[in-house]
Amino acid sequence: MSGLGILLVATMLAVAATVSYGLETGFDRSAAEADLPDVLVSFDSQSASSVRERIAALPDLEAFSLREQLTSVPFRAGRESADNGVVEVVGPGRRGYAIVAGHDVSRRGGVVIEEGLATDWGLGVGDRIRVYDSPPLPIVGLARAPSNVAYPLAAPHIYVSLAAYRAATRQHSARQVNIAQIWLKDPSQLDAVLVQARMSSYGLSGLSLITRSGVRVVVDQAAGIVIALLAALSLIALLTAATMLTAAARAEIQRRLHAIGIWRAIGASRGHVARVAAFEALLVAVPAAAFGVGAGALLATGPSDRLLGLLNQDGPGSALLAPLLGCFALTVAIPALAAAWPAWRAAGGPPLALLRGAEIGGGRARWGTAGGGGLLRLGARLATTRRVRLVATLASLAICTSFVLLMLALASELNTLANDPTALGRRYQLSASLPASAAPRVRALPGVSAVGPRWEVSAVDAYSLGEITYVIGFRGDHTQFEDPPLVEGSRLGGARQAEVGRGLAQILGLRVGSTLALATASGRELRLRVSGIVSALEHDGRVAYVSERALLGAEPDAPEKLAVILKPGADTKTVTAELQRLGADVTASTGVAGGGKTLVDALRGLLLTIAAVDGLVCLYMLTQALALTAAERRSAIAVLRACGAGAGSIRVLLAGAALAVLVPAAVVAVVLERLVLGPAVSRLAQGYATLALGADAAEIAVLLLGLALIGTVAVWWVVRRLTSRPIAGGLG
Amino acid sequence: MSPERPVLRARGLAKQVGSGRARQQILAGVDLDVAAGEMVAVLGRSGSGKSTLLNLLGGLDRPDGGRVGVAGEEITGASEKTLDRIRLRRIGFIFQSFQLIEELTGEENVLLAARLPGAPRGGRRRAQALLARLGVSAVASHRPHELSGGEQQRFAIARALVNDPVLILADEATGNLDEGSAAAVIETLGELAAEGRAVVLVTHEAQSAAAADRVLHLVEGRLRAGREAAGPGP
Repeated sequence: MSGLGILLVATMLAVAATVSYGLETGFDRSAAEADLPDVLVSFDSQSASSVRERIAALPDLEAFSLREQLTSVPFRAGRESADNGVVEVVGPGRRGYAIVAGHDVSRRGGVVIEEGLATDWGLGVGDRIRVYDSPPLPIVGLARAPSNVAYPLAAPHIYVSLAAYRAATRQHSARQVNIAQIWLKDPSQLDAVLVQARMSSYGLSGLSLITRSGVRVVVDQAAGIVIALLAALSLIALLTAATMLTAAARAEIQRRLHAIGIWRAIGASRGHVARVAAFEALLVAVPAAAFGVGAGALLATGPSDRLLGLLNQDGPGSALLAPLLGCFALTVAIPALAAAWPAWRAAGGPPLALLRGAEIGGGRARWGTAGGGGLLRLGARLATTRRVRLVATLASLAICTSFVLLMLALASELNTLANDPTALGRRYQLSASLPASAAPRVRALPGVSAVGPRWEVSAVDAYSLGEITYVIGFRGDHTQFEDPPLVEGSRLGGARQAEVGRGLAQILGLRVGSTLALATASGRELRLRVSGIVSALEHDGRVAYVSERALLGAEPDAPEKLAVILKPGADTKTVTAELQRLGADVTASTGVAGGGKTLVDALRGLLLTIAAVDGLVCLYMLTQALALTAAERRSAIAVLRACGAGAGSIRVLLAGAALAVLVPAAVVAVVLERLVLGPAVSRLAQGYATLALGADAAEIAVLLLGLALIGTVAVWWVVRRLTSRPIAGGLG
Repeated sequence: MSPERPVLRARGLAKQVGSGRARQQILAGVDLDVAAGEMVAVLGRSGSGKSTLLNLLGGLDRPDGGRVGVAGEEITGASEKTLDRIRLRRIGFIFQSFQLIEELTGEENVLLAARLPGAPRGGRRRAQALLARLGVSAVASHRPHELSGGEQQRFAIARALVNDPVLILADEATGNLDEGSAAAVIETLGELAAEGRAVVLVTHEAQSAAAADRVLHLVEGRLRAGREAAGPGP
């Protein structure tokens, strides 16, 4: 039993260590591997020679490289395609990305594609990819660049050498660049370099400077939520282990008081008794902890690596060994100390008292003097006998359970985000590729409640790393069709205003009243005042809602679609068929799509892994508590069995004991989750989305069912063990 | 008494305890018949196997060899369910250390056995009658630590009797009692036998055994006859 507990705790710790260590160190490790520059500068296209001159004048410069970044490029490979690809035309010099397979680009041709794209599309070195309408280009290598998250969270990137690009495009004019990577001799001089860079940037439009630490902050914010959750869960696991193993060790020492008395009587020191107890605990703890740590690492490596891959970061590999060894040491230290301490205390008593089987110390704290009978009630009374342990068990179980509830709420929320368009504030069910002029005809279709033209174009923001911003416009009030929650400021109030998604606001440092400057594909600039910030998960929040006038003014040829709201009860398939009859390509609205969905799936997988281990810890905790109660009150149970109580009656007795712990633990867990954990995690995540993490009735019902299942399994297992032994053994 | 239709019948009971070189044959072919209305005392020194014998007779442990029957039902090799039923309805146990459950009052301890699934109806009525008969009604609501040893043992006897068993197995029932309380318990056991129950009392006190109809000595794993009374006690 103790071995199982140690195994579970070790598993939990190893899961936490694997994920936390990977996320905590992922950026630095990958940045070092990729030789990420200290400063990334993006600007509107300039001749390479003029940029080179300006950068060469910067102080403390170690190296720099220039490249041209082409956005909204269509890629195609096999059945996969994307129209928001980014081609990085790299010149000589350092790269800022790591080659993880194959080799780098060269003048001989071929492209390097980012690892995320290769994984998502199932491509490898030797495969081919089409860029624009080019003939298929051979993929010569896979790259990982931690300056940005990976495809499909961000636009797919491919890298091509300047020579190969010029040869393919037959371009011989002066080289144009819009990205510069700068490495400093002494990164601590970064501030001085940035000041100098801004001073020397006169004439460069669309300038944006992003530092290596700035990239890290963005990535760490997301990882911080997961790490905070895991750290909390690890603490719970440790608390649980300490509580349960100490209680188990105490019960074991109590059983062996006579033997300890004999040892002491023949001259063994207290230290010797404690060391022997610790050694015996280690005999169980070492293999259990080793197995648990191994299992936990194996369990978590898959989901963790997947998440790291999406962040364009490398798994920790053998560097994980040290934290795992730490988990192992901690997991074996707890039972050793938990065994040694009561042995030390017990051995401190007079040998004569020990030989008589006196209590270890603290006397007998008994609760429950109320009358009434029944096995269920008696079981509850047996479980509440030891106050300190009861409180510790209750607290551990309640915290553990509240985390399971939190995971359920998170998973449910993520599921809603992934599948329910209204969760993102999207109020239309269908999108039809029809011009605005077709709106009256669509509105007349049976089952259609409202129709509105919708435009969406991608634009390059002037401040980031060539990241695409999605500009969305509706005719009239966009909230009729898309109503993402407003978290700051006010709704769009005119043609010179924009509501921006939180993700975009964070990347660009926008606040209400700031100016949003975007360059559209046609080269026009869109300058708008930020009226409000909305919680939009679509495109990771890199969206801007603008008026129809502003959007079409900047991009007159913006593709039109019709957003179609159905009447309640209308059949989506029927309306879709009608729309198709009008010649439209119809797509159904979903929740988070594309890259967002991938991230949601990855996070959900991770949460489920953690929740599963957490649930097992709960099961262990309850089973251990029941086993301890049964061991301590074995004579009472033996008397009951001698009186004719069968396994069923003993199950009822222990069900009472289980309920005495589970019911208050469930109540505390629900309160804790709704009032503390849910709001706390919502606050942690508020940079990304507005998450309602207070558990609802359905989640609470699932939790109660889970607890009932755990209780049933624990009672069944303990009673099975109890009844497999002769009754006479309990009467001695 | 001639036990033609004994309530308890044991044949060739054998039991080993310990392991390896410490393995010991504690019972080596015990035969025992106890009739209804008979009180049999088994005397033996400490460690002779008296409690082991009682555990085997009551189905609390399994023998290595031999057979036990209670009220015509074979308990050796019976399923746990059958054993539970036989213990519930046919056998009452009385222990040296009373084995009352600390969290329950004296009365609740008695009622606990009467409320087990499968117990005969009328448990509460029988419990109250037993408490009155044993003179502990006044302290029925007291918890074990508030009772004297004699009172605790009387509650333990009431618990053993509450389901109206035909066989009473008493393990050193007077071992933790003063002389007066011990005498009262022995007298009660005698009365139970007189009512038609079979009573087996294991003890190391010759004085307690003296009240029995038959006294058997457990020596080297076998029962040897001692004094035999003319008939069941008054």
